[in-house]
Amino acid sequence: MTDLASSDYFTDGEIAQSPFEYFDHVRSRNPVYREPHHGVVVVTGYQEVVEGFKNSEALSAVNSIGGPFPPLPFEPEGDDITEQIEAHRHQFPIFEHMVTMDPPDHTRARSLLGRLLTPKRLKENEEYLWGLADDVIDEFIGEGRCEFLGDYAKPFATMAITDLLGVPEEDREEFRWVLGAGERPGTRVGALDHEPVGINPLEFLDGRFEKYLADRRREPRNDILSGLAAATYPDGSIPELLEVVRPATFLFAAGQETVTKLLSSSLRVLCERPEYQKILREDRSLIKPFMEESLRFDSPTKVDFRLARKTTTIGDVEVPAGSVVMLSLAAANRDPRKFEEPNEFRLDRKNSHDHIAFGRGLHTCAGAPLARIEGHVTLNRLLDRMEDIRLSEQAHGPEDDRAFAYEPTFLLRGLVDLHIEFTRSTQ
Amino acid sequence: MTGSPKRLHIDRDLCEAHALCIEIAPEIFDLPDDDIATCDENPPESLWPKAYSAASACPRQAIGIVENLPSSPKGQ
Repeated sequence: MTDLASSDYFTDGEIAQSPFEYFDHVRSRNPVYREPHHGVVVVTGYQEVVEGFKNSEALSAVNSIGGPFPPLPFEPEGDDITEQIEAHRHQFPIFEHMVTMDPPDHTRARSLLGRLLTPKRLKENEEYLWGLADDVIDEFIGEGRCEFLGDYAKPFATMAITDLLGVPEEDREEFRWVLGAGERPGTRVGALDHEPVGINPLEFLDGRFEKYLADRRREPRNDILSGLAAATYPDGSIPELLEVVRPATFLFAAGQETVTKLLSSSLRVLCERPEYQKILREDRSLIKPFMEESLRFDSPTKVDFRLARKTTTIGDVEVPAGSVVMLSLAAANRDPRKFEEPNEFRLDRKNSHDHIAFGRGLHTCAGAPLARIEGHVTLNRLLDRMEDIRLSEQAHGPEDDRAFAYEPTFLLRGLVDLHIEFTRSTQ
Repeated sequence: MTGSPKRLHIDRDLCEAHALCIEIAPEIFDLPDDDIATCDENPPESLWPKAYSAASACPRQAIGIVENLPSSPKGQ
């Protein structure tokens, strides 16, 4: 029998397909465990991951996307490597973006974006999302079948964020072309071949959003991008244009892959547990807890990284300065000390809203309210317009022997495809 | 532990109006127009479980519970 704890989480294709056995095994050794291949401190316990997120004093987010790749551009020295990090910060992937910043820079940058996508503000965009969901569904509803990611989730998530961020109609074709011709932003992140993400894969988007934001500074409209264009720092000063471009670009890129994954994983549950289709259709207030449990059960972002800037402890384990720390959201969300029978999907779980699929603390996902609305609208419309939603046996095998392929990355968890069949609702 | 005085607190710099607290415990939390949550600092005992629940669900860890330890006679 192979010892799972000695497997290489960062290259093992089987673990990427099915990470939970690995996480459970490593957690049972120690919720804070130094894996042998890259010396990464793997944190899989709920309390310990939350503790890690809270400890921004000792844990820097500078490596949050790449983790151990590329290797540190310096040799850590001593119990406090703050100065070394600052001297080499520009060598880390996407160092210009908020996701890799630390306070006080992070606090300043985040203040521009913090209250941009609140549930309250997004209410104004909900009407558009309902219409969009219907338009996308119209494209395939007559077929009685679809490949959910390509036919619905990706176009829906892309068009939703495109509209929300005010990409003008005449530019949308170019966006589709540029982003579609190469790899979409974010698709190479966390690849199993050690290839680091580029320094700034979002350059094309930076250029476009610079123009849109400059337009809005001249002529504000009643939209979310105008809110960002007009945002000021807490001391009242006006940010440089580029400082509001970056958050827009990042939201645009980050909001698509993850939402696609959330939508498809929750639909997989609906297909596998058809009784939920009936229950949710009859009581729509249960869609919310259903989505929260989906986020807990199959968190789209599996892990987030930190670099120990000072020697510290997590749980009862000493973490020396210079250690790469992997805070596993997906593992924390299946910690049996926090969630009873964590590997079961339970609609009536009392504490499912404690899940940390969107992270916690300073860096918690600023787009979470948008992801939640997109999920809410999608599940409602699917249940309105389809009955007897089921998995395609041809694509996923018979009921007792299903097969699903997940994207081979250590960072994200998402289905490669989800083929469904359904009966068009007559109502 | 009975009746140990404690106080609910929202860090206004951290709150970003994700509004989970308002869903979990609308009796305690409110979200005014400035989009920074407010709360009843001393909710009735029966609502404290909901207060704890909201604090642990807050994405920004903006809800704090300050346990006021009774001051010792020496300190007076």
